[in-house]
Amino acid sequence: MKSPTQPAPAISLAGVNLSLGQGAARVHILKDIGLNIGNGEAISLIGPSGSGKSTLLMVMAGLERADSGTVTVAGEDLGRLDEDDLARFRGLNVGIVFQSFHLIPTMTALENVAVPLELAGVADANDRARAELEGVGLAARLHHYPAQLSGGEQQRVAVARALAPDPAILVADEPTGNLDEDTGRQIVDLLFAGHEKHGATLVLVTHDNMLAQRCGRIVRLRSGHVLDEA
Amino acid sequence: MSNAISTRWLPLRFALREMRGGLSGFYIFIACIALGSMAIAGVGSLAASLSDGLARQGQIILGGDLAFSLIQREADAKELKFLNDHGKLSSAATLRAMARTADGEATLVEIKAVDGAYPLFGTATLDPAGPLEQALAKRHGVFGAVADPTLMARLAIKPGARVSVGNATFEIRAALTDEPDKLAGGIGFGPRLMIGEDALRATGLLQPGSLVRWTYRLRLPPNGDTDAAAEAVTALAHKELPQAGWEIRNRNNASPQLQRNVERFTQFLTIVGLTALLVGGVGVANAVKSHLDRRRDSIATLKALGASGRRVFAIYLTQVLILALLGGAIGSVLGAIMPFAVSWAFGAIIPIPLIPALHPSELVLAMVYGLLTALAFALWPLGRAHDVPVGALFRDVVAAQPSWPRRIYIALTVAAVLALGTLAILLAYDRRVAILYVAVAAGVFVLLRLVGSLLMWIARHAPRARSTGLRMAVANIYRPGALTPTIVLSLGLGIALLVTVIEIDGNLRNQFANELPAKAPSFYFLDIPADQAKPFDDFVRAQAPTAKVEEVPMLRGRIVSARGVPAQNLKPSDEAAWVLHSDRGITYSGTVPDGSRVVEGQWWPPDYDGPPLVSFEKKIADGLGLKLGDTVTVNVLGRDITVKIANMRLVDWQSLGINFVMVFSPHAFDGAPLTHLATLTYPGGGSVAQETAIIRAVAKDYPMVTTVRVKDALDAIGAIIANLVVAIRGASALTLVVAALVLGGALAAGHRHRVYDAVILKTLGATRLRLLAAYTIEYLLLATATALFGVFSGSLAGWLIVTELMHLKFAWQPGPALIATAIAVLVTIALGLAGTFSALGQKPAPILRNL
Repeated sequence: MKSPTQPAPAISLAGVNLSLGQGAARVHILKDIGLNIGNGEAISLIGPSGSGKSTLLMVMAGLERADSGTVTVAGEDLGRLDEDDLARFRGLNVGIVFQSFHLIPTMTALENVAVPLELAGVADANDRARAELEGVGLAARLHHYPAQLSGGEQQRVAVARALAPDPAILVADEPTGNLDEDTGRQIVDLLFAGHEKHGATLVLVTHDNMLAQRCGRIVRLRSGHVLDEA
Repeated sequence: MSNAISTRWLPLRFALREMRGGLSGFYIFIACIALGSMAIAGVGSLAASLSDGLARQGQIILGGDLAFSLIQREADAKELKFLNDHGKLSSAATLRAMARTADGEATLVEIKAVDGAYPLFGTATLDPAGPLEQALAKRHGVFGAVADPTLMARLAIKPGARVSVGNATFEIRAALTDEPDKLAGGIGFGPRLMIGEDALRATGLLQPGSLVRWTYRLRLPPNGDTDAAAEAVTALAHKELPQAGWEIRNRNNASPQLQRNVERFTQFLTIVGLTALLVGGVGVANAVKSHLDRRRDSIATLKALGASGRRVFAIYLTQVLILALLGGAIGSVLGAIMPFAVSWAFGAIIPIPLIPALHPSELVLAMVYGLLTALAFALWPLGRAHDVPVGALFRDVVAAQPSWPRRIYIALTVAAVLALGTLAILLAYDRRVAILYVAVAAGVFVLLRLVGSLLMWIARHAPRARSTGLRMAVANIYRPGALTPTIVLSLGLGIALLVTVIEIDGNLRNQFANELPAKAPSFYFLDIPADQAKPFDDFVRAQAPTAKVEEVPMLRGRIVSARGVPAQNLKPSDEAAWVLHSDRGITYSGTVPDGSRVVEGQWWPPDYDGPPLVSFEKKIADGLGLKLGDTVTVNVLGRDITVKIANMRLVDWQSLGINFVMVFSPHAFDGAPLTHLATLTYPGGGSVAQETAIIRAVAKDYPMVTTVRVKDALDAIGAIIANLVVAIRGASALTLVVAALVLGGALAAGHRHRVYDAVILKTLGATRLRLLAAYTIEYLLLATATALFGVFSGSLAGWLIVTELMHLKFAWQPGPALIATAIAVLVTIALGLAGTFSALGQKPAPILRNL
């Protein structure tokens, strides 16, 4: 396993194991994962279905807890944080984009984007949310509810929401999986623009080789192991 | 052909197929319909069982096939001959009197003096057992008597003890444990003392003008004891003896008052049952809506595969019908059990004969009510499913919300609501009350919906809060898909009902425990012989120098006709009907009686000596359709007197002072035997010691005078009201259970969205405490705002019922209402958080993975 020689990696995983499910259905998904990702790096996680890419992303984002090993993100050992600390940590440090957008259907686009800012106690949450939405080209859709937006527009709201708190880490799980090619490309452009503009570390899970190539580094997974890197 | 058949049954097949997975998500739907139907089926079955009991035991309750009753006089020879000619006759006299023990204890008793033929039907049961005639016979110069066990307990006497009534002394021979015709007499203020007719004459209580009721019961000959024969004898009596002025009842209306009360109470309880069903309807609507939300992918798939909107509607309508039938059937079965359960648990203490039986028509009716309610509330959300395009169905729930269903579904909803209202009105005992109820129920629903919208509007336009938690809470109130309308509806209805019951309950209690006793007289003295009125007045004043004593002459009279229309053909309002039901106390006076004021016409001069005139109570006159100058014929002591209405008075009945519906001009009854009625009022109420002394003194010096202690009478009425209140509370509790179920269901339906929101918010940085705080504030804001409306409307309803229906003074009871409301608010928050709390503990990843 190779790792870049950077003094303080943005994300550092060592000996991470994770099993999910109960009883006979319990599956060992992540097996002794070790991985360092430098500040401002853009990497893609690729691999066949069930290889553990999304789960690994969840672990990095503090949404899933490792059974063993250490996970350090932005200098914070996630294993030592309780659920609420993890929530606060995510709000301040991690922007997440999901394949299925995961917007709150009862909130407008503007409200959705403002949520992490409001939770973090940002005074001008609405103004910043508006600016982010304008940045992703949705100035005219601020007060629309998710159901009134197209899939591409919803994902743009999700990107704006992920970028709004100016996070150190940006993670995206198959962000184009539910979108057509053109729309997917626009979303990816937005993600990379955000990554460059904010200097955030970008971790991307994808099936799409072309998309993976846009990242400076590709990590390949198979059956819960890091297979190799390119 | 086979294709046609399979298509016809397609909705049923699809509906059943979808329900194979179980009824999860529909338990509240079923429970709501089941509880409401149970109430209606139970009340209907119970009432039918009571009516059956009253009808089948008509002869026993009445004491004969026919009963003729006269007030203040015995039947004359001609009348007796008529009666004897038509069957076996038994006569009985009832009156109130004082029973005294040798050591000076005295208490009011309801005397019943019977002849040897009593009872014509049923059996009087004694303890120790023995024939009644022997127990009442004169032995060793002393008359026998049998007494209600209550009387024996009150005077602390046992069989063998002696009591005096009037001028006669009686030996109590046995306890009267069962008096077959007790019910026909109505509510008594004292316990029964049964004596022989000859013994009554020996008491000296039968003075001219004494308030004694003579009842002549007839047993028709065995070959002619049909209903038709009873009717024929009644008609003949009216024809041959039109002046008798007697009240004739037959075995089919042995106790019309009781029957009326059963019907009235049934209607009231049915209304409560309907309320439970209507509140449950909200639960049905919620359940259907959230079911369709959950099924939107299936619906979309069905539509994509060729199902028309109409077919989708038919499939889900079939499910609703199956569920409603299931709920209705469960409710009907439980309701059918109710008369048996009541008879088993309370049969011994219910004073009315109860014959528990299955009453299929009541059960079917309950199911029809359940079905109509389900349709009225489900058609709207079902109709919306018709028109949502496949694409939109695959999207989020928000887009489907604001759209109205097609006109056909709106029309169907309106038709179901109208059918429900029409059924409730058509089947009601008192249609006026039913129409009022339907109108109020519809109004309340609309109003609560408006309150919900208003709350959402206020939340939307409220100034932006600084705290994130508060901001989230306020936003949750108005967001699309917010719980606001359903919470406002179910909680608002629940609290309004709760407060209404609390206000009625509290005011009734206050009335009988504080208000009335404080201003009512301490005593009524009845049957004061006219020639002793003055000495009695002096005597009482000497005994209680600080008390106020009033006394008036009194007779009893029955309204025979008004404006020339016979009483039975008059159409009185509900408030005035009681005046025609039986004889009433009447008096004459030269001056306007205390406690009333003339509002129409002129009072006659104090020394008026012209043709007899009458002053009528205004509200009763209005209820009977009488105006100034109209004539009224009143039968007094077997003589019809026709008088002109000279003026109208308004009477303050609640003072419990001496008041009469009809006050005649002086000299109207010159020469008629009459007695006087007196009241004694201690300023600020009398003490027990003062009152006991008066009872003893009057019993000793005026044995003919009957003393009614008002506190005892109020206690007796209070006890009846307490029982009614228990029934009202029980029935309302059922509605509250349904309201809580609906509320719980609404909150649970929102739970799915809550979990989603909570997980996303946690992903974005929200802590559990923050989410908990936001949800708590949301529920608190919603519940408090709804509670304010509930308290207001409940108090308003309570005030209307207390003042307009019960004609009592209303005093707002803020304490209990606010405590109950606070509990309701807390329950709402607890129910809301109970669902949300588990969501907060969920780790985001597994849920995000499954979303």
